[in-house]
Amino acid sequence: MKKKGTILIENVVFIILNLLFLSVLVLFLVNQGSGAIVLEQTYAKQIAMLVDSAQPVMLIKIDMAKGKKLAEKNGIDFNNVVSISGNIITVKLSEGKGYTYAFFNDVDAVPYAEEGMYILTINKKEEVAENE
Amino acid sequence: MNKYNMNKRGTDKILSIYWFFILALIAGGIIAMVYVFYGTPYDVREIESEILSEKVADCISSKGTIDSEFFADSTFNTKISETFIKKCNFNFNVEEGYGDINEVQYFYEVEFYILEDLENPAFSFYNGNNNWKTDCSIKKENDKEYVKLAKCTEKRFYALSEEGNQYLIKILSVIGKSEKNVK
Repeated sequence: MKKKGTILIENVVFIILNLLFLSVLVLFLVNQGSGAIVLEQTYAKQIAMLVDSAQPVMLIKIDMAKGKKLAEKNGIDFNNVVSISGNIITVKLSEGKGYTYAFFNDVDAVPYAEEGMYILTINKKEEVAENE
Repeated sequence: MNKYNMNKRGTDKILSIYWFFILALIAGGIIAMVYVFYGTPYDVREIESEILSEKVADCISSKGTIDSEFFADSTFNTKISETFIKKCNFNFNVEEGYGDINEVQYFYEVEFYILEDLENPAFSFYNGNNNWKTDCSIKKENDKEYVKLAKCTEKRFYALSEEGNQYLIKILSVIGKSEKNVK
């Protein structure tokens, strides 16, 4: 009886270690797929392409529910996730610099957050603003 | 514990170590694949160059008629190359992360052909970084896809001048930006 018990414990430890190993692997895969670095790049490039193909006057809605969830998890205010400076878009979903990408369409693109979405208003750049 | 039982337990332990070695090997493979997959940036240069060529085409003609700014005294207006960037609202500044911040990552070339001579352009102009153009010819000559080279898009269409003359317009647009789109 004593001998059988020893074998059972060894088997249980073996199975637990296997399960632990597999769950760590699955967690790693899930984290990589929805990681901030991947999403930041995806959103920045998507928004850049949208702005490039946009024409004044347009309103573009982008579903960023996944990004909002991740930003909140990382303690980033969703209102500060997307920012546009000149013709450069920055998407920041975690602490750090975020991901930047440039668009060539010289328009006045203003982003603002609204319930898991980002709305981009595309307007013609005003000459006065350019001269300033 | 007899001799045979001892051997069996020994074999079990060796099997467990072997099993974990195999698992570690598989995990290593999966981690390496994941890193390669997610570490490779999304390549949007092809889409970007297509959008650029569309934008250039929109600037040249509207509803099949070439903009009057392209002509001066019934010939082509050579000054259009200087004003075209502003006319089309292009801004070729780029963010940090490329080799040289001042290196323009865009290029476009427009050629106008009269229908009687489709070999030599009647008028042409370009803007942006001329070095990217060679990447297109390398790709064309070898008929191969080199990922590190710039992405090119060729577009051609027919349009009429206000006087009714027909032109074939060829647009070549090129996007560099390999640092942020290729590993």
